[in-house]
Amino acid sequence: MPQQIKRLVTAFAVFILMFLVLQQVLKPNSFGKLGHYRAMAIQENEARELHYAGSARCTKCHDEMHTDKAAGFHAQLQCEVCHGPGLKHVLYADKFKDGKLPDSLKLHKPDTRKECAICHQLNAARIKIVFDTVNNSMIKQVNALKHNLVDKHTKEELKCIECHNPHQP
Amino acid sequence: MVQHIQDLYEVLSKVDGYVYPNEIELNWSILIVLYPYITGLVAGAFILASLERIFNLHVLRPTYGIALLTALSFMLVATMPLISHLGKPFRAYEIMITPHLTSAMAIFGFVYLWYLMVVLLLEIWFDYRRDMVVWAGETKGLKRFLYKVLSLWTTDISPKAVALDKKLGYIVTVIGVPSAFLLHGYVGFIFGSIKANPWWSTVLMPVIFLFSAIVSGIALVMLVYIVLTRIRKLSIDMACLDMIASYLFYILIMDFVLEGLDQIHRIYEAEESFEVLHNLVFGRLFFTLFIMQGLFGTVIPLLTLGTLQFYKPKALIRKGIYLVVSVLILVGIFFMRWNVVIGGQLFSKSFYGYTTFKIGLIGTEGYLMAAVWLIVPFLILSFLLWLLPPWKKHEDDPDVQVN
Repeated sequence: MPQQIKRLVTAFAVFILMFLVLQQVLKPNSFGKLGHYRAMAIQENEARELHYAGSARCTKCHDEMHTDKAAGFHAQLQCEVCHGPGLKHVLYADKFKDGKLPDSLKLHKPDTRKECAICHQLNAARIKIVFDTVNNSMIKQVNALKHNLVDKHTKEELKCIECHNPHQP
Repeated sequence: MVQHIQDLYEVLSKVDGYVYPNEIELNWSILIVLYPYITGLVAGAFILASLERIFNLHVLRPTYGIALLTALSFMLVATMPLISHLGKPFRAYEIMITPHLTSAMAIFGFVYLWYLMVVLLLEIWFDYRRDMVVWAGETKGLKRFLYKVLSLWTTDISPKAVALDKKLGYIVTVIGVPSAFLLHGYVGFIFGSIKANPWWSTVLMPVIFLFSAIVSGIALVMLVYIVLTRIRKLSIDMACLDMIASYLFYILIMDFVLEGLDQIHRIYEAEESFEVLHNLVFGRLFFTLFIMQGLFGTVIPLLTLGTLQFYKPKALIRKGIYLVVSVLILVGIFFMRWNVVIGGQLFSKSFYGYTTFKIGLIGTEGYLMAAVWLIVPFLILSFLLWLLPPWKKHEDDPDVQVN
């Protein structure tokens, strides 16, 4: 075999061997056990801190809100969409029987125009009618910068929730 | 209270119409523009070198070595824009050690590796092996050591061994041409196969990418050749330059026609995405598409090179024209990549709106970072030209023996 071929074959063999060794060294241990991913990723995800409790859990204590909501346009919305993640609230609220929860456990009460506008702000390009197939309704759009902005009598700024019950808008 | 709503409006002020929340900011910025641009320069430069070798176009001989070293310089940097774009660049190797066969990007790693290791490095090695052995005998110190390492400590430069080098080099070139097509066709495929994006999703994309790559690679080698002869204070080989220019002209015509076909196809089909793309092209992309890519990058070079096919002014004027045309084409192809990568992210996949793109000077996705990855290949090229000067190759004395 000519000299240059011998050297080339050796160089390529060394390169491929190095690649295979590095692959074995660097590949995560649990890779490939269950599929084309790190099997440990499942445990790692399971170990992550939970934040949300789910509407079913909210209903256990706040059944009157649930009854309101179930009859209105927001029936399909999860409570935590507006009130924020509530698992800590659920887990520890029972320990404060007098109802005086510390601020860290209190859930957010959205009452600003900004928060309603996230879904309901008028947008010329947004499809005008989005049917909620369950309630056979649509997401109403208003111009939050103009729609009843100021109370005509008090001259103070009006909040959306002063006219609309957020649980049954 | 109104302030809060104003804040919301401020965020949305960069948006026209309706876009999904994850479309407001562009995920792929200038570094992802550079990736197909640099890869294209590699493929194009290599194909120019192959023309000389496969089709025996000896008139192109002065640019053969330059084209190969240019291709290698840019190839070594081709993945760097991608890696520096990553949030966790030190995990970049994972795509190679646990590749998934259904991942287009993972397979690109192997297409890249094949092209670098089996095509480019091998061809350059066979081309330079004898010279490296000779130079190892003529030089001292670090340079001598480098030549010895690079030639893999071979010493055989007998006519038989050199003939074998040439034969094997030729075979590598023959394999190299389809490999170069594969490399850049693959980059086009990565964009063309994204069916959710109507601006990218066309089967013509790999072909368009390939031809624009050849155009940009030839223009780059032409520019490097002109600048290099100027720096070395040598007279330029006008027959070679004229030949490169005529190839550039023909390939540019094909590139123009292919892109035109793609647009005609889109216009005639007028799918549901047509309106949003139409407004994109005449709105946010007007300057980069019609002015930079179309006028400066295609029409002016086409007319100029076309005129030079019939009318040949003095050599000095032609040289100046070639210099300007090569720069225009390089800029034009850069904006072609820009229009694909950035353009594809400026419109909402709801087809109801547009976002805007603003690029900063500094930061990992800024102009400076992009400039670094465009300058580094030229530094590598300077080093390679110092180490492996094509003009010092012992072309005419095959019997030269190592000292």
